[in-house]
Amino acid sequence: MTSVLPGRASRAAGISQWLRPAEWQLALPMLAAFVAFFATPLLLLAAVSVFDDTQITQAGFAMWRKFLGDPFYWKVTFDTLKLGLMTVAATVLIGYPLALVYLSAGPRLQRLLLFIIVMPLLLSVVVRTFAWIVILGHEGVINYTLLSLGLVPAPLRLLHTEFGLVLSLTQIEMPLMLLPLISVMHRIDPNLRDAAAALGASKWRTLFTVILPLSLPGLVAGCLLVFASSTTAFISQQIIGGNRLVYLPLLIWQQSLVVYNWPLASVAALTLLVSVTAVIVVISALGRRGSRHLHVA
Amino acid sequence: MNTLDLNRRRMLGAMLAGGGAAMLPNVAAARGMVTAAIYPGSWEEAFRSIVSPALQKAHNVELAMQPLFAVDQIAKAKAARGAPAFDVFVLDPGPRITGINDKLFDKIDAKKMPNAAKVPQGLVDEWGVAVAAQFVGIGYNPKRVATPPKRWSDLFKEPYVSRLGLTGFQTTFGTVSIIEMAKEFGGSETDVEPFFVELKKVLPKIPAISAPAAMPGLFQQGQFDLMYTNTQTVGTLKARGVDIEFAKPETGVVAFFTTMHLARGADAENAYKYLDTVISKPVQEQLMKPPYFLAPVNRDVQLDGSLPLKSLDEMDRFVRHDWSKINPLRAGWIERFNREVAR
Repeated sequence: MTSVLPGRASRAAGISQWLRPAEWQLALPMLAAFVAFFATPLLLLAAVSVFDDTQITQAGFAMWRKFLGDPFYWKVTFDTLKLGLMTVAATVLIGYPLALVYLSAGPRLQRLLLFIIVMPLLLSVVVRTFAWIVILGHEGVINYTLLSLGLVPAPLRLLHTEFGLVLSLTQIEMPLMLLPLISVMHRIDPNLRDAAAALGASKWRTLFTVILPLSLPGLVAGCLLVFASSTTAFISQQIIGGNRLVYLPLLIWQQSLVVYNWPLASVAALTLLVSVTAVIVVISALGRRGSRHLHVA
Repeated sequence: MNTLDLNRRRMLGAMLAGGGAAMLPNVAAARGMVTAAIYPGSWEEAFRSIVSPALQKAHNVELAMQPLFAVDQIAKAKAARGAPAFDVFVLDPGPRITGINDKLFDKIDAKKMPNAAKVPQGLVDEWGVAVAAQFVGIGYNPKRVATPPKRWSDLFKEPYVSRLGLTGFQTTFGTVSIIEMAKEFGGSETDVEPFFVELKKVLPKIPAISAPAAMPGLFQQGQFDLMYTNTQTVGTLKARGVDIEFAKPETGVVAFFTTMHLARGADAENAYKYLDTVISKPVQEQLMKPPYFLAPVNRDVQLDGSLPLKSLDEMDRFVRHDWSKINPLRAGWIERFNREVAR
């Protein structure tokens, strides 16, 4: 039943409806900030990349040709993406079971586990990185334990190796995998597991046909965050990886801050951006395809 | 008007008043101020505890510091296009040449700094003044390396090479050390190719090739027992109980100077007072002592045992380099180093 408002009140209601912002207008401040602080600097970066000289006076594509025509830079790009993918694989293999433990724990234990998961984020990444030198070094915790137990005849070379770097990045990036995963898994109806058990499904079958499909959005989100973070983890790559593992962030830093070749640094930065975005798009697409295949709504 | 509206209006009004007050120009205090870039870490601590109080006492000028490495200062000044966020640079030789070439400095008048007369000739010029000396040689663990290496070329032989930590051309001390190693094998200040040839032969034996900032930490952890380094790092590690000594190569210790410069458009009056305070005898004496170990440039300072020389006159025998020749080549060397050492 509609009510007929008196004349003045209906005019006021009409005016206020006209003044009430449309939904898209509410996003204008964020859009302005995005344009000013993200899109504009990105365009500037692209503009700087199309200069041939370090003084940025001569336009041209010499730096792009230099970068894309050199097999060494392709190798560095590929190694950077490979590092990200290995870290994602490691965090999924270790993080998913941890998330399942969280899911089946009682409320008290869940609070404790959540604190332990979040704790690394409370420390500076530099502190965490230097701590890994103490753990992975020749006289570090791992080698000391192995030597004391007589499991190895001599200290293992863990620091400045790809294995050591992936190991440390797995710990450093683990919160980024666990938090989205736990957040999504927490919303899975526990009755579904009971129903699967009641219908005769084994625990493994329940995991692969019920829990995994429903946790896919969280898993994909975690993979995206870990991939983006580990490929750009300059400090960890430098300190734990050493100078023999050359990745794009190191090249960008050297070219921009040591030799001041900003056009080449821009080319490297844009290559990193495009290649990481491409892999993220692939991971997202795989996630969506997986959801459809597993008939998840 | 309901209570919520009143509270919201009061809050908005308070925010506006607070923001407006913050935008009002600060009431100028009677004392002046200078903003100086400073190397992070022990330099910043040293200047905060020694230079800042001395500047206040002598000239009633407050020191505000911006922790930035030399390369970052130049990058920031270049990006700011002639309007840097600080009045005084502190730079190593390589960035100093870049700053001069890119016209980032105002010229200085040494007559405005009474203490400049105490600084050895050649360390004050129209572009800046040296404020500390750095001496580069070989740091080694005396408990694990029974006989220290005598020459730079010894680092490529056993028993040294399998205990050696290397770093590349990203820093001044790394660059000058590699140049000295190259010279041993027939290279020069502008030709480091012999270094790369020798490096290739021994690369699998070298335990660590690391970022410069990580070198002291890795040495402390026993990852390697030899590294090229400066006396300041040796002094700092020794003071923390690490077993380390400084070995002087037979070809001579490398010396280079950290210099300070006026940024273009800087507040010169207070900047000169700051520069003069930094090179004054009492400040230079304190900066030399533990835990800072900054080698002085003021001739009146009595040098202590932590330095590889007894008086500043001995620096004439130390090895110096012409960075105007090195700078143009450094970009290529960095790229080459990456390619040679990458797995």
